[in-house]
Amino acid sequence: MKRLFAITLATAMLGSGPVIAQESLTVWWVKGFYKSEDDALLAAIQKFEDKSGVKVELSQYPVQDMIPKTVAALDSGTVPDVAYADVYDFQVTGKWAFDGKLEDLSSVIEPIKDQFALNTVSTTYLWNDKEKKRAYYAFPLKQQTMHIQYWNDMLEQAGFKASDIPTGWDDYWSFWCNKVQPGIRKATGKKIYAIGAPMGVDSSDSFYSFLTFMDAYNVKLVDDDGKLLVDDPKVKEGLVAALTSYTKPYVEGCVPQSATSWKDPDNNVAFHNKTIVMTHNATISIPAKWLDDANNATLDQAQRDQAKKNYEQLIATGGFPNKPDGSKMVYRAAVKTGVVFAGAQHKDRAKEFVAFLLQDENLTPYVEGSLGRWFPVTKKGQSSAFWDGDKHRKSVRDQFANGTVNFEFTKNYKFTVLNNENVWAKAMSRIVNDKVPVDQAVDELIARIKQVAG
Amino acid sequence: MSSPAVAKEAVVIAATGERKPWLRPGELGGMLMLVPYILVFAAFVLYPVLYGLWLARHPASYATLIADPIFLRTVVNTLVFLVIAINVKMVLALLLSGFFMTPRWWIKVLALIFILPWALPSIPTILSVRFMLNPEWGIVNSTIFRLTLEDGPNWLNDPRLALTLAMLVHIWKALPFWTVILTAGRLAIPTELYEAAAIDGASAWQRFRFITWPSTRTLYLTCTLLSTIWTLGDFNSVYLLTGGGPADLTHVLATLGIRYLRLDQVDLYMAAVVCALPFVLPLVYFMTKRLSR
Amino acid sequence: MKLLTLRGVATEAKLLLIGIPVLLWTLLPIYHMVLFAISPKDTALSGALWPEHPTLHNFAVVFGEEHYYLSHFWRQLWNSFFIAVTTGVLTLFVATFAAFAISRLRVRGGRAVMNLALFTYLIPAAFLAVPMYRTMGVYGLLNNQWSLILAMVALASPYAIWVLKQASDKLPYELDEAAIVDGASQMQLFRLVYLPLMAPSLVAVGTYALILAWNEYLYAFLLLSRDTAIPLSVALGNFLAADDSPWELLMTTGLIYALPPAAIYFVFKRYMAVGLTVGAIKG
Repeated sequence: MKRLFAITLATAMLGSGPVIAQESLTVWWVKGFYKSEDDALLAAIQKFEDKSGVKVELSQYPVQDMIPKTVAALDSGTVPDVAYADVYDFQVTGKWAFDGKLEDLSSVIEPIKDQFALNTVSTTYLWNDKEKKRAYYAFPLKQQTMHIQYWNDMLEQAGFKASDIPTGWDDYWSFWCNKVQPGIRKATGKKIYAIGAPMGVDSSDSFYSFLTFMDAYNVKLVDDDGKLLVDDPKVKEGLVAALTSYTKPYVEGCVPQSATSWKDPDNNVAFHNKTIVMTHNATISIPAKWLDDANNATLDQAQRDQAKKNYEQLIATGGFPNKPDGSKMVYRAAVKTGVVFAGAQHKDRAKEFVAFLLQDENLTPYVEGSLGRWFPVTKKGQSSAFWDGDKHRKSVRDQFANGTVNFEFTKNYKFTVLNNENVWAKAMSRIVNDKVPVDQAVDELIARIKQVAG
Repeated sequence: MSSPAVAKEAVVIAATGERKPWLRPGELGGMLMLVPYILVFAAFVLYPVLYGLWLARHPASYATLIADPIFLRTVVNTLVFLVIAINVKMVLALLLSGFFMTPRWWIKVLALIFILPWALPSIPTILSVRFMLNPEWGIVNSTIFRLTLEDGPNWLNDPRLALTLAMLVHIWKALPFWTVILTAGRLAIPTELYEAAAIDGASAWQRFRFITWPSTRTLYLTCTLLSTIWTLGDFNSVYLLTGGGPADLTHVLATLGIRYLRLDQVDLYMAAVVCALPFVLPLVYFMTKRLSR
Repeated sequence: MKLLTLRGVATEAKLLLIGIPVLLWTLLPIYHMVLFAISPKDTALSGALWPEHPTLHNFAVVFGEEHYYLSHFWRQLWNSFFIAVTTGVLTLFVATFAAFAISRLRVRGGRAVMNLALFTYLIPAAFLAVPMYRTMGVYGLLNNQWSLILAMVALASPYAIWVLKQASDKLPYELDEAAIVDGASQMQLFRLVYLPLMAPSLVAVGTYALILAWNEYLYAFLLLSRDTAIPLSVALGNFLAADDSPWELLMTTGLIYALPPAAIYFVFKRYMAVGLTVGAIKG
């Protein structure tokens, strides 16, 4: 820390010299889904610039473009210094660490690792196959898990109350599909769907949702050493059950047809349009958008009032029903990771930036600036009063409080490849588009898992 | 300019029987004028091409490529796209060129409107088509629902339908260009031929078969080949409409690059391009010969 | 107006039978774009064929940069202009010199250069996109608008050279010879004889390069990143990530973005037809 301070001081002094060109740091960051998220990031960067005298060259891309852009940059050898995207962790971070493309951040993480919740920092402790060592090759920034969102007013229109929603797994899905959907269609005469189940290949929501279904059926694909367990007949049985449960509403016409080509924002879009009554979403970005609108000066008063009403009354946030075996649901958390590339030009500055950003006084405003969309990774952040703020945030904290499990890729990085290919959504597509039996789709799925991760 | 070089040039000129070039002393200036293009070519064409080939040097890339089911699917899609889209487009262009030659004031106006798809940028127009086809709120399915009370098809979700629609978008965009070219070609046919045929009492089909077709055949072939090469590079029609989906089943060679970028496997894309070269290069070579005449 | 015979009526009917579908086919996606642009937000996704309350409000939002995804609209419009115009000018510069040298001065190697150029023209541009990205990285031009401009010049020049050479070959050589006899230098010949005679083709080629660069999406998306550096085409693509589905604003912006190339095309239509068809007709 002392050294860091010295560097900062030195830079600040040098920076004041008239002839010395200003140092710059290239940062690539995913574009936020709404303005307040980006404002928080810009504020943190501004603070860093003021403190260090380093000019931060920030580029922001939409989430689906982040990986192609970064891969192209890696390939060309002109990488940014620091990069973060909401999809890195489950698609590329582990693989990049394995291939030796990432800078060891242990010097940044090690001194402060006690500040993090255990499940978060452990997911950045990754294997580098080039150097044959395990180290902190990424930094944890924030985390997410699966939530259910539904419109209270639409549920009422359909003739039901929140207390009517069953807690049993099959009853729960059947309630939306067979009771709410006919009810709302009759009441409105509009073609509304009950469930927004993301199934697009080019989307992380689809595999996150599916893997949550898999958890509900207690399916474990890898053991703690990363060895595949897919040859166990029980695993296949569980996969068949989970896939059947996931695709059933679609087959029965309770999910919009376009769900099979949804990208990450599309279930949000359908929800905001009230094309669907409920959806499962891996953050509470849906209510948060209305909170953002409620404070948006470019909207008129009526729009702001409506947005406030949507946030405070009409939209509900909740957890999943109980597992099919009757036990309580345990959610999988995805710890969002950012990286510094081994080929970066300003590695020291990059580490300095990461260390700066990870300090609670900088990280917490950034995470909370996303209006509850992301949950903190630091103990202090998690205990912040922010999470008592309203019903959506309380619900999020409760879900995390019950403990979380991690993704397969934290044990076997090749699952990032499987997620990237999205074998899960492809299996869904086989069932609903190509009409192959679930059994066969699962056999193909297992074959691909073994081929890639075996 | 050294004298042996001049002498050699003179021999070449004598051998090819070309007109004796004037302005010999200024040839250096002429060469200087070529320099900007040569620089652009070397820096932004040659270098990337060589780099691409270098990326594709590992035999392992080809093994992985062949093992990727999406690649095989892409090859099939590309072939289907080329064979169907190009032929439909060129035949339509040939037929429409006859229509647009008809002297009517409203056809002249229509010709101006008809060129729009080609003149407008792809992004907004193709996204517009994509929104039209949204199964829930798109204008197409809404209209179908209003008229028949039945749900319309899930247009972009069925790979075959989606690829067909991508071909239609391609045709929508490229048809005006080829129609203009073929119309210009047909306008160059001497009208006396048609007048003579009219005197002989030839039918419309006979006029087409014995006058129009023989005079436009070569042009038609050239256009088809040129269109094949360009269609191979059509990224927008597929990417902006289907994004390669559903489930990566509508990719063509031009969009495969983005997919492999996304999968962090750039070498595979360059390998795919190299695999396509044996088919593309003869075409390109042939066209270069033809166009440089 | 001549008296219409029965046969004449049938012919007109047949023509209309072709003309009407052609008109609908051509205009449908464009009409749909306009439809979105004049629809209020709450009815844009209603699937109606005409909005109940058409409005120009969307244009006000776009011009006022009142949506988060539009906060750099004017800047991006300017970027599109800058990139397109610079590409047009540079392409003209490169191609006119090359065509003059090849066609009029007949420098040695000119034919080889011509063939190389055509070769580029015929390589599908999408195949080159990924290696082009690498190349720009090596040159340190990534995220710099010059990377896109230079890439576009490289892609537009071959066709430009070819068209200009074709047109230039048609000019009588006697003109050049007369000018030389009068003691004109090479540059004077180029400036005073060649350029004025070639003006129509130059307009066609410049317009071609300009529209090509204005409309480009793939290269712009790959080579440029910052919100303040990207042209409108990429900004439109980024819209798709918005989760409040401002499609009516996307289509409004798209319509604004589509107007300049259409306008330019119509203004220079006469020249374009000459330029575009010049060599193809030779067959």
